[in-house]
Amino acid sequence: MSTINWLFELNFAIFSVFLVLYVTELMGGVLLILSYDAVKEKVLPYIVPIWEVTGTFAAFWVVTADFAYPAMLIPVATLLAGPIVVFLLLFVARNAMISFAELITRRGGWINEKRLYQLYGLATLLIGVVVIMVLSMIVTAAGVTLSPLSFSVWTWVTNAGSVPYLLGVILIALGLAPVFYDIAPLRKITLPLTALGVLAEVAALYLYSSSFVNAWIVIPAVLTIAAALLYNLPPTAAIVSKKIVFALVATVAVFSLNYLVYPTFLNGALSVDGVTTHGPMVGVFYVLTGVGFIVVGLLMALYMLSAWRSGKVTSPVPPTARPSTPAGHNP
Amino acid sequence: MSGIVDFDRFLFAFTIGSHILLVSLSIGMAIMICVSEFLFARTKNKYYGALVRRLIRPFVVSFGIGTASGIVMAVELVNLFPRFMTLVSSTGVIAIFYVEIFAFFVETIFLVIYVYYGHTFKGTYTRWALTLPIVVGTLLSAVLIVMVNAWMNTPNGFNIVGYVASGSSYTVTGVSPWAPFLTTSTGYEVFHVVAGVPLTGIMLLGGFFAYRYVRSENADEKTLFLNALRLAVALSLVFVVLTIVAGALEIDGMWQYQPLKYAAIELNPQPGSNLPWTLFGTVSGTSVVGGFEIPGLQGILEGGKMMPGLSQYPQADWPPLIIHETFGVMILGGALLGLFIIVYAGLWVLKHKPYDRPILAYLFVAFSALTATVMELGWATDEIGRQPWIVYNVLTVANAANYSTNLYAPGIAIVVAYLILVPFTFWFMARVFRGKPIAVDLEGPAAGGHDVNY
Repeated sequence: MSTINWLFELNFAIFSVFLVLYVTELMGGVLLILSYDAVKEKVLPYIVPIWEVTGTFAAFWVVTADFAYPAMLIPVATLLAGPIVVFLLLFVARNAMISFAELITRRGGWINEKRLYQLYGLATLLIGVVVIMVLSMIVTAAGVTLSPLSFSVWTWVTNAGSVPYLLGVILIALGLAPVFYDIAPLRKITLPLTALGVLAEVAALYLYSSSFVNAWIVIPAVLTIAAALLYNLPPTAAIVSKKIVFALVATVAVFSLNYLVYPTFLNGALSVDGVTTHGPMVGVFYVLTGVGFIVVGLLMALYMLSAWRSGKVTSPVPPTARPSTPAGHNP
Repeated sequence: MSGIVDFDRFLFAFTIGSHILLVSLSIGMAIMICVSEFLFARTKNKYYGALVRRLIRPFVVSFGIGTASGIVMAVELVNLFPRFMTLVSSTGVIAIFYVEIFAFFVETIFLVIYVYYGHTFKGTYTRWALTLPIVVGTLLSAVLIVMVNAWMNTPNGFNIVGYVASGSSYTVTGVSPWAPFLTTSTGYEVFHVVAGVPLTGIMLLGGFFAYRYVRSENADEKTLFLNALRLAVALSLVFVVLTIVAGALEIDGMWQYQPLKYAAIELNPQPGSNLPWTLFGTVSGTSVVGGFEIPGLQGILEGGKMMPGLSQYPQADWPPLIIHETFGVMILGGALLGLFIIVYAGLWVLKHKPYDRPILAYLFVAFSALTATVMELGWATDEIGRQPWIVYNVLTVANAANYSTNLYAPGIAIVVAYLILVPFTFWFMARVFRGKPIAVDLEGPAAGGHDVNY
């Protein structure tokens, strides 16, 4: 009888939080590209502080992954040397664009606040594509040749599941973006886009391998469609568009995805138990993760409290000092 | 194949060299913001408030780019040196990386609260208190990463069989998970970095303030830069003294715990107790040729103890002797820097108004650039001095490296991106520092928030 691999579960939990933070950014980034002037009041007060926290969660996940899977590091470096460096370049671009956008004083010319925020959105979107590709590769082995170990982007793209998989993620992100940012004029598109996206995802998983479509897929599918559906019902729209509620539900949905493939990676080629760390480092991992969860939990609570509080406090800045003042976001 | 190893080595050296420049500036700004907030709370001097408002803007940029380059480094370690990270992950060293993430969280969350919501806190001491965890978090991040470096120089907490010989087949045994937090060189290295890195950041700011002071024609702006410069000089003086003490202690620790590196940086062909101190020069047989020699100085500085020499080690194990030159320039530069700051502060105390002399302002700029150079050379000396090992006497860089040729094109792209981004970031930071008229910055509370483009 197999037991739960807690190293894997904890690492996946951290990954789930990171991915949800990242996807909420990505949704905002796409909205900024499509309709900057119409959505900036809703999107920027959330994105501007959170992008720094998302980056920290990315580092958190990378280090816990290093810790949990020492045996995976050489295969990962062998398989993904190129895509990883592309990811890094895009990540630098993302941080650069948004930190410049926050502070640039130019409103005219080609390089201005709007353009930089849109470039940030583009970098975030492209990172999303790289992350999605790598995720599907790790889970399904799409694009991977096992002997000798190698990865080909072209082989990944030409896999029958990859295009619907990518399309599904984009549809879900577009469908749920108005929910998360509470953009009422776009309410009508949320449910059809999200439902189509979920269908595309299920189809993609089936095309990758029928074994991925099992009972566990109901949880993320139902939660995702429910978020869009509830936003269309007046009594529940305000609740589901609360960022903290949305993020918690989305984290549960993402976390449940691990049961589609657990306990293996690469479409059954690698066992999770076979690559996780062992010996005295396991105890250290649990101790540090326990302490870390408390520390990070308290810090995030403090962050959300400050964000909530900022919405209650009137800005002391005279109206002439800024063209538009932050509304304070709803955490 | 060695071309790929050298490329891996170069790419990581390039990115970490850029990263420490940004991080030192971030740490310098965090300290300046913290002290200025305190002085603003205590004195209600509006120029300290304005200084904080102006420093927050470049601090956000520096943090944003610094975070990205930090993540680039963390991922590059896996990508470029996968066997090194496999060893790290099998030992307690990974726990250091893990704790560093929590320091990073402390820094990030408090920075976000302070920068974006700080204006909602009415109490000036409360806003100052918000800056303390930012300083602690940034410094702790630096301390923890230096702990990893110390472990690479003087590894402990495990035994290993077969790694060096085979390059792939090995067994790690006897792991002591907490031992890497305190190796024989940890204390020396941490002290040196905690003193030297803030010095670099504050000196870079000091050079900027000195230059802007003489260039500015606005009375309020001049007062602001004068206050800022006074603070930078006072802090630099403290950190320069600490750096000198820390540097001396590190050299003392090095001859005990990294004797080969010591022999190489001091260019001692033979061991001895009354050795000269040599600037530049090279080893020829059993003696040093060229260079400038002060007879007996090394012996005096080390209290007449027996110092190691290169002849005690096989020549194949010697690190590249260029580290003698990098070390020499570092010592010379550091000494000149210390002298400059002491003289500058002395002139100020004696009311000779050094800030009013353009030549001293330009010299300050030159010395701030020298400080950054000295810091980079210090890091280069430490890293090159461990070659060919990535973990001393355990794992070579060649055995640790990734031999995938897929790295070339994106790696070159990273170098090009950094060559554009880092200078642009410095330019942009200088620009946003003065992004608003001084009259606007003199109004309102110290903390930021509403300075951001929402």
